[in-house]
Amino acid sequence: MRKQPMETAAEKPRQFEWDLKELMERLGGDQELFHDLLVMFRGDVQMNLQKSHTAIGKGDYEELSRTAHTIKGMLRNLSMGAAAEIAAALEQASWGSLQMESKELLEALTKELEGILPEVEAQLAEVKP
Amino acid sequence: MRILVAEDDAISRALLGRTLQRAGYEVIAVEDGAKAIAELVKQDAPRLALLDWVMPEKDGVEVCREVRRRKEQAYKYLILLSSKESKGDIVTGLESGADDYLTKPFDADELKARLRSGHRILELEDHLVEARESMRFQATHDLLTSLWNRGVIVELISHEIMRSRRERSCIAVMMCDIDHFKSVNDECGHAVGDDVLREVARRLHNSVRSYDMVGRYGGEEFLVTLNKCNPESAVSRAENLRVKIAGCPIQTASKPVTVTISIGLALSTEFTQCTVEELMYQADMALYAAKAAGRNCVRVARPFGVSKPVEEQPKETPVLAP
Repeated sequence: MRKQPMETAAEKPRQFEWDLKELMERLGGDQELFHDLLVMFRGDVQMNLQKSHTAIGKGDYEELSRTAHTIKGMLRNLSMGAAAEIAAALEQASWGSLQMESKELLEALTKELEGILPEVEAQLAEVKP
Repeated sequence: MRILVAEDDAISRALLGRTLQRAGYEVIAVEDGAKAIAELVKQDAPRLALLDWVMPEKDGVEVCREVRRRKEQAYKYLILLSSKESKGDIVTGLESGADDYLTKPFDADELKARLRSGHRILELEDHLVEARESMRFQATHDLLTSLWNRGVIVELISHEIMRSRRERSCIAVMMCDIDHFKSVNDECGHAVGDDVLREVARRLHNSVRSYDMVGRYGGEEFLVTLNKCNPESAVSRAENLRVKIAGCPIQTASKPVTVTISIGLALSTEFTQCTVEELMYQADMALYAAKAAGRNCVRVARPFGVSKPVEEQPKETPVLAP
């Protein structure tokens, strides 16, 4: 019998804040949707993180603000609250073209996401469509 | 009910789509503001829309402004959906024309409750539009026959006369009067008289082209105009109307009744300097001549007096069926 994702998460040591209980409540326990969202997240978050690094390299804070906003939305939708707060701070800093602050926040976000993605993979391995 | 979801983030789009489908909505999902506008201006556009604030091409606020600019369309209930939370943002969103505002990540129950509120607003809007259209119809149409009423038909003829002068075309104005209508009312009652008026109106309306006009001038008198008509064929078309009325008894609530009409015809090309009132006066004089000639016939107004159409053959049709 397939394990519920929230049970799986509960069994593992948490590397970061991911409120799977709240997420599954919002999804109405829909495992298939949960799986589809994680697949989307896996692809989109990496693409947007890459775009963010390119934007900060070019000093394009408008683009950085857009990508940070998108990442923030994805993280909030998936109940990844702490990471979402870092993305929100990055969006805010990029509005003000704050170079050092933006750089530090992007590094923090990258590190947070590096912790998130293996957990996402683990959930995907547990919950197949 | 159909609902538009405009959201560039695939995860939010999928979440919204699934939540709304579960709630019984038919979801149309697009990923940018330009596509949202394209959907919302369609003839059969969804009346409810959830618009993300930050989107490529056009953002949610621009979509709201564009939709509200197009006032001719049915009202759309627009909900802005975004992670923007400050009071200033909410004010900007609502002032752009949004009806409501939700922050992400959305709560499914709150979203559904707000959509139900949107339904109520749209229902109210539909009732108001219906009432306005009904009042507009009553103000412009004759309640018994549903033809244009006197004020409107005269104004429409006035516009058509001006147009015909600009385009150097001809319009034919026909004053039609049911012969001996008083005796129908006296002998059969007013309910039958009303049936007769309704049926005469229907036959006249169905016997002209879509761009011709028919109105009730008053009592048993009707005004018919043939716009952009050939002056040579106007008389035969008037004859055709006369035959449509006289040729077949009218089935009333109590018994079949045969009635005839007399027609006075005036052509704008014969009275090039006339106002609408003068042209109608000419048609009226021709109608008097048709009555004087024994009724159930057509007479044409000429600048030198009323003439009898060359092709007219005298007819005798009983006023009432035996």
